[in-house]
Amino acid sequence: MTVLVLCAVVFGIGMYTVLTRREIVAILAGVELMLGSANVLFIALASFSGADAGVAGAIGLVILVIAAAEAAVGLSLVVTISRRSKRSSIDELTEVNG
Amino acid sequence: MTLQVLAFALAALLMLGGAAVVALTKDLMRLVVGLGVFLLGVAGLFLYYGHAFLATAQVFVYVGGVLVLVVFAVMVVHRASGGRPIVASRHDIGAAAVAFGVSGMLVMSLRGSVGGWLPAPGASGASIAEELLGGHLVAFESLGVLLLVALVAVLVIIGSGERR
Repeated sequence: MTVLVLCAVVFGIGMYTVLTRREIVAILAGVELMLGSANVLFIALASFSGADAGVAGAIGLVILVIAAAEAAVGLSLVVTISRRSKRSSIDELTEVNG
Repeated sequence: MTLQVLAFALAALLMLGGAAVVALTKDLMRLVVGLGVFLLGVAGLFLYYGHAFLATAQVFVYVGGVLVLVVFAVMVVHRASGGRPIVASRHDIGAAAVAFGVSGMLVMSLRGSVGGWLPAPGASGASIAEELLGGHLVAFESLGVLLLVALVAVLVIIGSGERR
């Protein structure tokens, strides 16, 4: 139960970060909090349910790699937006042009 | 048992402390350090649940890779501003209610699925490799393709920014 409460609280903190921060890098950090806590909860639930540890580890690794790819693409977008418009706050980014 | 509880408490403290710093600090570099502490806490919990390989991958990929990437992004984005970069935020009771409401819903919906303190034995690197290269080969190869696509996407995004 403790790990469930811990992961839920950290997930909530991540969501709060995403909802309240105006800096894109900070919002990405909030997304990382949510993904990290979800991955820990997944591994914990697999451990408690008696699921095959190898399968749980493999899926955990898949989640980890997907999160890393998401972070790389997100940060490249941040750098590109900053180069084009010299802005890094989402309040100043109101145009979604191609 | 006591040592296990202590290990869990330490990892949990790292996770919570790092997450709190990410959510509340105004200094962007402190936010990055907080994210690093959180990621180390996550690796600690993987270790606690017996997934040593996953913990090692977490430290290598995140603390060694993604975190350095975040630092580079902060340096590029804020190089002209001078001084320590500040994170603007709009703290709001409504956002807190939504976020922790979701937390509460998670706890309520999954509370029957978790047991006590002692986890089952975890997976070794060999058993994970056996799964990835055996029954889950398609998922493993798809992951490789996803990473390649992400890498190409990063190059395209950065390249299109440089041409303008």
